[in-house]
Amino acid sequence: MIYLDSAATTLQKPPSVALASARAINRLASPGRGGHRPAMAAAETAFSCREEAAALFHVPSPEQVVFTFNATHGLNIAIKTLVKPGSRVVISGYEHNAVTRPLHAIPGVELRVAAAPLFQRRAMAEAFRRELDRGADVAVCIHVSNVFGFVLPIEEIAGMCRERGVPLIVDASQSAGCLPLDAQSLGAAFIAMPGHKGLYGPQGTGLLLCGRSPEPIIEGGTGSESIRQTMPDFLPDRLEAGTHNVAGIAGLLEGLRYLRRRGLETIAGHERRLMREMGEGLSALPGVQAFLARDEEAQTGVLSFRVEGRDCEELGEELGDRGFALRAGLHCAPLAHQTAGTLETGTVRASVSPFNEEREIHQFLFAVSGLVH
Amino acid sequence: MLYYLIICRSLTYAQRTAAALERAGITARILRSPKSISGEGCSHAVKISQRSLPDALRVLQRVDLTPKRIFITAGDGSYQEVEL
Repeated sequence: MIYLDSAATTLQKPPSVALASARAINRLASPGRGGHRPAMAAAETAFSCREEAAALFHVPSPEQVVFTFNATHGLNIAIKTLVKPGSRVVISGYEHNAVTRPLHAIPGVELRVAAAPLFQRRAMAEAFRRELDRGADVAVCIHVSNVFGFVLPIEEIAGMCRERGVPLIVDASQSAGCLPLDAQSLGAAFIAMPGHKGLYGPQGTGLLLCGRSPEPIIEGGTGSESIRQTMPDFLPDRLEAGTHNVAGIAGLLEGLRYLRRRGLETIAGHERRLMREMGEGLSALPGVQAFLARDEEAQTGVLSFRVEGRDCEELGEELGDRGFALRAGLHCAPLAHQTAGTLETGTVRASVSPFNEEREIHQFLFAVSGLVH
Repeated sequence: MLYYLIICRSLTYAQRTAAALERAGITARILRSPKSISGEGCSHAVKISQRSLPDALRVLQRVDLTPKRIFITAGDGSYQEVEL
């Protein structure tokens, strides 16, 4: 099988990830829940993971790195901390349901969509500026579209939010581990990301980088201030009730170490090269529309395409039968499809990782050409 | 042997404290705070030798880590709080 669905989950991971997770199951207990060696070893692993993430994302202090179950969990914490009934919230036109559903669940939220054509970063920034100038309480912005790989101008948007005193939540689900991300310079209130995509951790892991004090969405034991019946007011304990996913965190730590060794620039360059080759190859096929940015910097290793007269799900199935793992449909992001004009048809999405090779792209292009001719 | 316990507000703070001290060459061990001094329930402490306290305080001040409380062991095994 040729795996081209890393935007959903990176299936191919550094071997050290699975080894660390397996080792953790047998040797690590629960951080903060005992003074014995397995508990302290688990605590060391968790702390190392926070430190590694803090270094990668330029977070001032490791306690600002909070473990979550996934990006959706982190986004829910961030949104429910900042958005209140009646809040005016600016979002991009490329948000995932992980953002739009929690916002819709809060009564009376006035949602303003900063929409701009696909891959037009300047227009995207302008759209955000217009909506922020109308008055906003919170802004939420995806860094990279999970459907199209569109890199939104997050630094510019963050700057506008800082100037206007509007707290910003960044959904870094598709950018963490794929593009440089500097929490300190962005000055965002929260940055949420999964552990199982570009950070190469196991499923069930995620990180929330906290630039301000959050409100917990679950309460429970934290191994600290046990007498009190309210959650601790300090991070990370405030958000980490219950037993940690230690096996996941151990794997995530190895994923982060791999990133440091390999280098973000190298990874981003490799992914972009493969994606462009794929996009150009698909665009040359009759009836195929590949959503490929002219500006190489405006797209990561995620590429959507559709074929005239073909149902995207059926095409995805057929490619699956031929040994290619892709994702078709709306990708839990109907707003992004609406903005890009693909809501009616959906798209087939191919996404790469550092573990993909050029020959796999050639095989994929050969397979698609066989289906469209 | 007499030693100091630096009580920290959380395990993560204890880990930051111990890491900062170790980086400065001060041996530091994380342990669960004894029940008699843990105050609001479970907490963690960093154990350092008696002679390390002045250096430890300087290091912690430099990295902006404020100890919650500090105790010294007494000869009878009890703990006495140290006024900072």
